[in-house]
Amino acid sequence: MTATAVATTSTPAPARPRRTWVGVLIGVLLVVLGIVSLFVGVSDVSVATLLEGGADGTAAFLLVASRMPRTVAVVLVGASLGIAGLILQMLVRNKFVEPGTTGVSEFATLGMLVTIVLWPGMAIMGKMAVAAVFGLIGTWVFLRVIRAVPVRQLVLVPLVGIMLGGIVGAVTAFFAYRLDLLQSLGQWSQGSFASVMQGRYEYVWVAAVMVLVAWVAADRFSVIGLGEDFATNLGLNYRRVVAVGMVVVAVITASVLVTAGMIPFLGLVVPNIVSLIIGDNVRRSIPWVAGLGATFVLACDLIARTVRFPYEIPLSVVVGIVGAGLFLWLLLRKGSRAH
Amino acid sequence: MTLTSSRPLLAASLALATAVALTGCATADADADAAAAADPADTVTYSWDRNTAGEDEDPQFEATTVEVPKNPETIVVFDMASLDTIGALGGEVAGAPLDSVPDYLQDHLAADAFNAGTLFEADLVAIEAEQPDLIIIGGRSTALYDDLSEIAPTVDLSIAGSFQETLERNTTFLGEVLGAEDAAAEALAELEAGIEEAQAATAGAGTGLGLMVSGGRLSAMAPSEGNATGRNARGGLIYDVFGVEPVVEDVKAATHGEPVSFEFLLEHNPDFLWVVDRDAATGEENAQAAAAVLDNDIIKQTTAYQEDQIVYLDPTAWYIVFGGIDTTRIMIEDVLQIAE
Repeated sequence: MTATAVATTSTPAPARPRRTWVGVLIGVLLVVLGIVSLFVGVSDVSVATLLEGGADGTAAFLLVASRMPRTVAVVLVGASLGIAGLILQMLVRNKFVEPGTTGVSEFATLGMLVTIVLWPGMAIMGKMAVAAVFGLIGTWVFLRVIRAVPVRQLVLVPLVGIMLGGIVGAVTAFFAYRLDLLQSLGQWSQGSFASVMQGRYEYVWVAAVMVLVAWVAADRFSVIGLGEDFATNLGLNYRRVVAVGMVVVAVITASVLVTAGMIPFLGLVVPNIVSLIIGDNVRRSIPWVAGLGATFVLACDLIARTVRFPYEIPLSVVVGIVGAGLFLWLLLRKGSRAH
Repeated sequence: MTLTSSRPLLAASLALATAVALTGCATADADADAAAAADPADTVTYSWDRNTAGEDEDPQFEATTVEVPKNPETIVVFDMASLDTIGALGGEVAGAPLDSVPDYLQDHLAADAFNAGTLFEADLVAIEAEQPDLIIIGGRSTALYDDLSEIAPTVDLSIAGSFQETLERNTTFLGEVLGAEDAAAEALAELEAGIEEAQAATAGAGTGLGLMVSGGRLSAMAPSEGNATGRNARGGLIYDVFGVEPVVEDVKAATHGEPVSFEFLLEHNPDFLWVVDRDAATGEENAQAAAAVLDNDIIKQTTAYQEDQIVYLDPTAWYIVFGGIDTTRIMIEDVLQIAE
């Protein structure tokens, strides 16, 4: 009798402790995996060897030169890719878009190819800038096409994006093939952290800055997600917020591409899972998306490092398998709104 | 992700060549019985097992024998190693996929050489118009057999078995076709001696690792264990042909070696790094992209770096052509760098 009374008076309450619990779990996992990541690798880096000082301090050197950069890069890439997916989903008002399903990644890849062909000696920062500009063009083209094609069905929007990406990808592949760069293109666009080390990962900090920008503008993105008319009625400069969102998505995509290559599904799966747990308020979901994205990529990278030890399998393979499974689960799960 | 390499094709050609190696029927000699029907002075017989299935199908092999005219006037070549050998034996090629011919093989083309298409797609009209006497395919162009064999006698000189077996078989056969048997035998003897000299140089030199650098990523190459058809063979030849002692034994023959980290190099610390710079294979201006990738603090701790024993191999020779006479000379010179 009392039980029913409680249930009727406070319907939203039961969900709250569960959310907190999940949040704590993600946080703990992130920290644990981050520490594990520091001590997993080909060379022997452990607390013992660190304390010993090792032979001429090799362990400490590797910790600083190789393990820490890799772990930081993985965390930043995971966090920022999740955010890029989240922002894009708000801009398009569709739960099934991410840089990989809207052609943004393919445009950025084309940008990279252009720099490699025209300015092979260019610094990585420059390559990233060009890739970001191409990614920006890609986002713009996608938004225009979506606007021009009156598709409001959920699944059609990413389909249009995938087609767009397919066309751009084909153009990229054509030029890479003609220029004998297909192999190289495949190599660096394949997601992997194997060659990340000090001096070769710092560009992901740019993505971290973009995450901050997203956080600052979070409430505006929430409003944008309600539609242009609604946002304008609330006195929001719709175009400006969309522009900021486009820049955030393009720059994150480009910096991840330069550092690790393409990582599929992440921007799609992570925001959707977070949305299931805590809903669609962008300000509240940003730390969740960032934390879950980082944890997800950390776990996948650890698998990639250890499955065929001492060799590595490409991270994108692991993420592809795990991410595709999660994506299917999201689609097929009971009560999914995708049908 | 949308970009895929030509793996089905690779699988097909690999399977084809494996079968050829197994049956061991790829003989270049004009066998008495085979040549009995035709005039032995005018033709050379060439036999191999041809894969008749499509590139995504399970291989189906069909013993194929082709009579090739001696001293053909017009030769069209889709196989770069064969172009190399024909040129080195004093022959000239009337047509080839011109975009795929590396610089150092340009001399082997006739002055008015025509473009025969690409390695994957032949320009049948152009070839038909030239009325060639002989067409040579191999490797990537293997699938062109059906179309090309209707135009002229077509032989597939793909790699089969080990590197040396292929080199000997193809050089002997082409020597016979061109009427340059002596030059072929001479070249083979010279290359054999060169390889032995290179082996002597690597013998006491310590361990080595074949490393491919591409797009900023590292791949460890594996010994190909006598089957030089796999792409891995390109880095693996350093062990198979030139006797370098692998620093790690169990690198599995994956398509392009095994992705490894810089840490891997430091941990296994080979005495020599044999680097194939995939990005430099495409043009002079990109040359030594691998050197930039390998210029970092971890590599600087390795023996290979400290002893100045990072050897850059000619990417075109090791990665794209391999198997021709001049190409093998380049490979020998590359290895002999360590003897100086």
